[in-house]
Formats: sequence, C-alpha cells, structure tokens
Amino acid sequence: MLYFKVKFYFLQICLWTVVLSTAQASSDRIEQSVFRITNFQQSPDWQSPWKLKPTGKGQGSGFLINDDLILTNAHVVSDSRMLLVNKISSPEPFLADVVAIAHDSDLALLKVRDSNFYLNLTPLKLGGLPELRSRVRAYGYPMGGQELSRTEGVVSRIEFGTYVHPGIDSHLLVQTDSAINPGNSGGPVTQSGKAIGVAFQSNLRLNDVGYFIPVPLITRFLKDMQDGKYDGVPELGVETSSLINRDYRRYLELPENTAGILVDRVVPRSSAEGVILSGDVLTKIEDMHIDTAGMVKYGEQQVTFFIEAENRQIGDLLKIQVWRNGKFHDLNLTLKAAPFGAEMRNSYDELPEYLIFGGLVFIALNRNYIHLPGNVTPPLAFEHWYRELERPRTRKDQAVLISRVLPSSVNSGYSNLHNFIVNTLNGKSINTLYDLDKMLKDMPPDTRHVVFESEWQNMPIVLDYKKSLEQQQSVLKRYGILAGSNLSGMQYKGSQ
Amino acid sequence: MIKNNLFSFILGCALIFTSLLLPQVLQAEVPSIKPWFKQAVLLKSYQQSFDWLTPWEKREIRTQTGMALVVRLPLMKNSETAGTFQNQGLHLLTTAEMVADATLLEVTRKNIRQPFQAKLVLMDYAANLALLNIEDSNFWDGLKPIEWSPVKSKSKADTENIYSFKIKSTQEWEVESGTIELMTVGHRGVSDAWLPLLKLSGISKSGQGFPLLQDNETVGMILEAGKDGAKAIPTQMLIEFLAHAGSASYKSLAHRGFSWRRLPQRSTADYFQIPQELPGIWISRILPYGTGSDVLQRGDYLTKIGKWPLSHDGKIQHSEWGLSLFDLLFLDQLKVGDSLELELIRDGKPLVLPTRVSAYEEDGRTVPLKRVGHPPRYVIQGGFLFQELSLNYLSMWGANWRTRAPVRLRLFLEQNKTVLMDDNFKRVKAESASKNTEPATRIVLVTQVIPDEINIGYQKLSNAIVLRINGQQIRRLKDVSEAFLNPEMEFHRIDFLPGSDRLSVVLTVAGLKQSNLRIKNNFRIPKLQSY
Repeated sequence: MLYFKVKFYFLQICLWTVVLSTAQASSDRIEQSVFRITNFQQSPDWQSPWKLKPTGKGQGSGFLINDDLILTNAHVVSDSRMLLVNKISSPEPFLADVVAIAHDSDLALLKVRDSNFYLNLTPLKLGGLPELRSRVRAYGYPMGGQELSRTEGVVSRIEFGTYVHPGIDSHLLVQTDSAINPGNSGGPVTQSGKAIGVAFQSNLRLNDVGYFIPVPLITRFLKDMQDGKYDGVPELGVETSSLINRDYRRYLELPENTAGILVDRVVPRSSAEGVILSGDVLTKIEDMHIDTAGMVKYGEQQVTFFIEAENRQIGDLLKIQVWRNGKFHDLNLTLKAAPFGAEMRNSYDELPEYLIFGGLVFIALNRNYIHLPGNVTPPLAFEHWYRELERPRTRKDQAVLISRVLPSSVNSGYSNLHNFIVNTLNGKSINTLYDLDKMLKDMPPDTRHVVFESEWQNMPIVLDYKKSLEQQQSVLKRYGILAGSNLSGMQYKGSQ
Repeated sequence: MIKNNLFSFILGCALIFTSLLLPQVLQAEVPSIKPWFKQAVLLKSYQQSFDWLTPWEKREIRTQTGMALVVRLPLMKNSETAGTFQNQGLHLLTTAEMVADATLLEVTRKNIRQPFQAKLVLMDYAANLALLNIEDSNFWDGLKPIEWSPVKSKSKADTENIYSFKIKSTQEWEVESGTIELMTVGHRGVSDAWLPLLKLSGISKSGQGFPLLQDNETVGMILEAGKDGAKAIPTQMLIEFLAHAGSASYKSLAHRGFSWRRLPQRSTADYFQIPQELPGIWISRILPYGTGSDVLQRGDYLTKIGKWPLSHDGKIQHSEWGLSLFDLLFLDQLKVGDSLELELIRDGKPLVLPTRVSAYEEDGRTVPLKRVGHPPRYVIQGGFLFQELSLNYLSMWGANWRTRAPVRLRLFLEQNKTVLMDDNFKRVKAESASKNTEPATRIVLVTQVIPDEINIGYQKLSNAIVLRINGQQIRRLKDVSEAFLNPEMEFHRIDFLPGSDRLSVVLTVAGLKQSNLRIKNNFRIPKLQSY
C-alpha cells in the first residue's frame, strides 16, 4: 500500500548472519525441530549485470511445520547456490531445496532431500496472534555462539511495518523485547509450546527491539501455496489520507460520529480500480469501522485497515463501505495482486536483464539498481517513483537506461556515459529491453545510424549501426562477457 | 688545467655580476607598497544571511575583511545610479561576496581613526562585483581612482611575476608575488555564469578586493586566495562593469546564451549532416538570456562567432591568450550591444545569423539560482508556510545539498537544464516579453506546517508541491495570496502534487483569521506575508 512512496528503511535489518556454528543437543521437543540453515549464496552484480558476485555464506534458522517442510525467511534462502540444514547438536549437514518462496512476506519453505532427516522429529504447531504484554520465547542460531539460543521477552506492539527484504511491502508484524539478533532469522517465536511467529528483523535505532512475522501472514502464505503456486499478498491499491482534521470531515459532509479515511488516489490496474473512486471516504471494510487515521480494531490493537485485504487470497471478495456524494455505498471488490511491477520490489533469485549493443550496456531500472550508491539521482528517481504520479500513463513497462559503456572504437566519445535514460531508438518509443533488442535486430540492413534519445539529455547518442554489429563479439570478448544479453529474467537455483 | 682555471674565472665573474645586478632587477620589479598603503581602503563587512527554513528569521552574523578599490565611473545622463554619485564619480569597487547580505559595511583608511559607513550602490552577484559609495566627503580626501591596465599574458609582460598584498597587521603590509597560471573561463555555480577569470599561483594570503599588479600597473582584482592559489577578475571585465554600472538598464556582463557539447564522434556529425572535417560545437540548450539566445536553436552546429572560427572543443585563437574557450571573447573583443554574426549549420545547411552581444540575466528559470540581498518571500496561512523553490532554499541542506536535499525537489533543478524544460523557457520568455512585470513560473511549496489547532492532522506535511488553492492554479507565490481571497464556500482547499504526504487539505474560512493571529503570536512571527 506504500506504492510509489519514496521511503528508505535502512534502519531495520534482516537478521541474517554469516556465522557458522555447531548446534548442541537439546532434549526439548521444540528445540529438536529448530534447525540451523546455511546458505551458500551468490547475488548478481547490478553494476555489471552479466556477472555474479563472489559466493558468500550466510546463516539463519528454520523450523519444522509439518512432516517434511521447514519454514524460514525468504531472505535466509535467497540467491542460493546450495542450502544445508543442521539439526541441533548434529554436525551432519543435509542438503535442502526451496519449495516455495514469498519475497513479499519474507517467508519460504524448504525440503530436505534425505527423508531420514525427518526421523523422530515433531513439527511445531502454529498458534495464534499473541496478546500484548504476553511472554514469548525465540529460538534460533544467532551470532555470538555455536549453540541454539533461547531468549524470552514480552509482546510490546502489534502493528503494520515495512518488511526490509522486499523493501516496499508493509505487513502486520509483532514487536518484542526478546533478544532477536542476526542469525535468528527464520527461527520460531513460541508461546505455550506453539509457534506464533517467525523472527525476521530488528531495528538498529532501538535497543532490545525485535520483530517477528505473525501467524496470520504465515497461514495466508501456506494457504496460497496449496495449489503449488505462490500468487502473493493481495493489495487494495489505494493511497489514502487521514481525516483526523475535523474541518476536513465537515467539508466532506460526513455524518457526525462517522469516521473513515480519504481516498487520494486509486492505483491503475489495482483491486480498487473501477470500484473505489478518488475522493471516496472508506468508512468500513468487511464489518469493521475504519477510524480517521485509517485504523481498525484488530484484537487488542488498532492496525491499518489493509489488514483485511492482506489476510485474504487473490481472487477473494472484499466488502467495502464508502461515503460518496453525501451517501453511503456498499461495494464489493475482487482482490488482485499488487498493482506495481516487480521492479519496485527488491529482486532475488533472478539474473538481471541486460542488453549490450555497440558497447553500451542497457538495463531495466529497478529497485536494486537505484539503491546502488550514487544512483538516487533526479532522473532515475523520476522514472522509478514519480513519473506515474506526475504524468500518469506515460510510464513504460520498463524504464530502459544505459548504465555504463564498455569502451570501444565504436562508442568513442561516449565512454563516460552513465545512467542515460533511453526513451527512443531512431524516433521510436522503447517500452522494454526486449522491445529494444527486437528493434535493434529488426533494423533495415541499410541503416546507417542508431540514435538513442532521452528526455533527460539534450544530446542524443548516435552510433554507426554496421560498426556496432561488427564489433559486438569483439567487445564482449574483450570484456570477458559470455552473453550479449539476458532478456529472460530466468530463474537460477543452484541448490536444485 | 689552464682551461679549468679560465672557466672558474669566467664563472666567478658571472656570479659576482649577477649578484650585484639581481637586487636592482628585483627592486625594479617589485611594486612599492607605499602608494598603495596611502590609498588603501580596508573593508569590513558584517553579514547576516536569511534563514530560508524560517524565512522571517536571519542567521548568525559573520564578518569578513577585505579591500575596496577606488574607482571612477563615467558620468551618465538619465542614470538613476549616476544620480547618487558624488565626488566626481569616485566609488569603491569590491567583490559581491564581500557585501552580500551585509548589515553594515565599514571602510577604514590609514591615519583616519574613524571608520566610514559605506552604502551598496550596485551588486552584480553573477560577476561577483559590487560598487560602494561613502557619503561623507572627508573620506575621499586625497584618494585617487585606480588607473587600470589590461592584463598581459606572460609572454607580453615585462616580467613573469604578478603581485598582490597580504596584510600582516593594520600597519604592516607585505608584497606577495606569484605568476599567472592561465586566463580561463570560470563557472560560478551559484549563478551559473561563465566569465573570464585569471588563475594565479603563488598568491595565497591576499584577500577579496585586493589589487592585482603586473609591471607596476593594476591589472585586476583578487576574488579569492588560498593555499591552492588565487583567482582574479581581469581588468578588462572590471572596466566593462564600471563603464555600464552607472546605467539604469545594467543587467550584467556579456555572456553566451546557450550551452554546448562537442560532437562525440564521426557518426554523430554524419547523423547531424555536418561536414566531417568542419570544426564547431553542437548547441545543446538555449538559455533564457545571453548572446545568441535569440537566434540559435538546439541542434545547431556553431562554427564561427564573429570572425573567430571555433575548434571542435569550443576554442578560438585569442590574440593575447592563444587557444582559449570562446567565452574569452567577452573579455576584450565582444561588448554588450555589439553586432555579431554567428555562422552555423542547421539541418545540414550553412547559415549566417546576425545578432547582438547580450548580457547574463538572473531570471527565467523555474528554480531561481542563488540570490543575495533579497529576503526570502513567504506567505503563511493557517500555519502552512508557502515558499518558492529556489537554490537558496535547497542550499539549506548544507554544502552537499546537491545529494542531500530531497530528490523530489532536486528534480526541478535538474529540469532547469534539460530538454524537459525547453518549453518552459520558451513560455517564460514569451511571458516576460508580453508582460514585463510578470515573474517567471515557479514551484510553490508548503515547506512546513507551523502547528496550530486549525491544521491538526496535517502537520506531517513538508516540502509538498502546491498545485491549486481553491481551484486556482498556483504558478508563483503571488498566486497564493490571491487564491486565498476566493474560498469555496466556507472552506479553503489546497491541492498538492501526487507523491506528497497527502494530496489535499482544507481550512475553514471562519477559523483562518484567528488561527493566523495565534500563529503570529505563539511563534513570534513578525509578518505572515513577506511582502
């Protein structure tokens, strides 16, 4: 629901560590079902999109939730080349595979290849949403030691917050003062012998504050996966403003004692499009009254009204009541996936798309790239966040840019070019990298020049078409690049 | 053996001769401090800039010391500035940075204990020049105007050395010597002006407004000096400034009216239908002012300015300074008002376009460049602080504001110099041509919300870009006050550009007056509207 809002959540960190430890035996039944997960991972180099960074080793936790599935965080198993799972007190690692991953809610399911792994293990049962101030216990393999760690604390808050792993998504999360440290990620938080959440992030600015993913989001994920395919958390697709100001409520002629939240904008292609209108006041969602800050009663807590959407599945119906033109209207909408492209979310498990032509490296702008140091420049920020807001429906499926130049005689004079947003090729609009590739391949044979123009640059880039083709292979060879393009967005899973 | 003795004898003679001659040569070169010491006018400036975050407040006072040079202005008819001139046109010349946002300017002379108060007559912030006057005629007793001489290149001067002064104490001065590194074209970032500039090495302790001497003649004025050397404005620019400073229509010095790029490679030239071996520069943007802005178009390939052919990297052969950027023509070859022909290739065809040399101007940008001496303009209504986006405001994010200021706001500055804003420039130009008094279109922001009961629920808003107030489009700050005169029934409504913390707010008409009064008193704001 934070679509297109520019927020940087550096303070919260994923609790994943690179410490390898050896678990000690424990007689506790729960403890037997909490595992140490080691991920040998390799993430792409977004600066040189044909390359992968050196292999790293990360450690997190996970726990058994049924006969053969281990629940953990998506960020523990992302960009994996090999996954190992160790039981408590056992030095023997077992190879595992990711069977489901939900980057939007930072959850994943693993399966160990060797069925002997599961002998004598008892899955943890899932509990419910904990009460405020109730005591919880967190298990995991955090930094600072080799053994399974157990810490205790109380539930201090239940609210919506940003999930660091996807970067853009906000969901329900539970705050606790139980020590949750890097390496705890994916471990269970328990109460009365049941798992009530998955530890996943903390806040560097605060002391003794950790967060776990509560059961409603976990069960939604498990239900979503029942058909073997993950569809994602549905989004309503509205941007709203509070109606805390009494005069604004009078201006809207809202009846006395009626609260609600003002719809500023309905996001195109969202669940709300065609049902909710900009200027509506959302007064009820399902049977819950929405207050002037957009909150609804959720157990003991007030949480944002989005909760009613995110606990459901894509395709489910949702009842909404709005105040429009002096009347209440009861509406139904069908929930859809988030109305923004994958480029808005942090990308994992995918190789970057790129295209090299005439030594110019073309990429599609995405969250990973814009967050590289020095890349939050006005042109990139506009294309990534503001274009849709300021010039609706002018946004292309991909914002294509020349990220860098591989110097060669064909591109001499352009070698310092960096982050050149490309709008047209020989006067024709470029919609995606794939389009660009096709346009370049379909050029008439007598083409003399390829001309890339940008709204952000006063001078176009002009290359000799024939020379660019002639030098393509030599440029790739000189810079040690195996393929001149990757336009498949292909999945790569080294552990499979 | 004999050979060696003879060689030693000759060498010895040469050394003795050199040692006898050298002090005399040096004595001949080093300018005497005495006449300068008598004529010296020291300037102390108390400066207090405006606080653009709290625009009704001023920032801490700071002081600067430097020099001011006695100059004579030509007396001009029908000139407002000239009307204030006294003492046969004698004035003081210093840098604009010395006097920018000054609350008090004090000048002192040797042997006169009492400081005199100087008044700012004219400031050209883009050129970094300012002209001062002192009304007390006692001040001018015995002062003579500087006789300027054009600065010469090393090869044409009698000696390579140039000189300025450093002040050890009020009574003790020393000569500081250095050399001219190069005559170049300096870019003044705060005003985006490109003007001829001398770069000097060896001069490090001199200060703003100090004279620059060559062959015992005054050839420029120091702008700044530090461990990396000094920068100075050459005489030719100073003379040009002084020649026109008395005119009421003075804007600034001659300046180019376009941005340019060199053609990166042969295929680019081929594409633009430019003959392969024809040197020149590609016009990438037309500025809202300056030489050529009235006749050139983006995409023109400029090959000759007047009689000077351009090289591939924008250089001309200057008679004094050799191969130099073409902007150096504004040093001594092209003056404001001169007729000029520009030779170019447009759409593959050669053209000769007549124009006139014109000056730098401040206005015409959506985001105005840094201005001094003008208090921030603002309007407060219901705690909403309305201001225009400007470089002064962005500078409040500190020295690294170009990366630290909100990217949403920096975006508009970027658009100042890209093709995105070409249309805006044209519109602004057309607007200003039709109605001279109409200021350019600006970005109006609610920079902050000053808390009051009327704006409860809105207080998180900051740097929100205002689109409309009461349905009226807001194009400049003046529109804000006007729009508040026409509420929608009993409410004022403000709409913001999407991407702000919220897209609209309303304020009651009935509550606004009381709210304004409360805010004025609670936050001790002297005026709720700056103008």
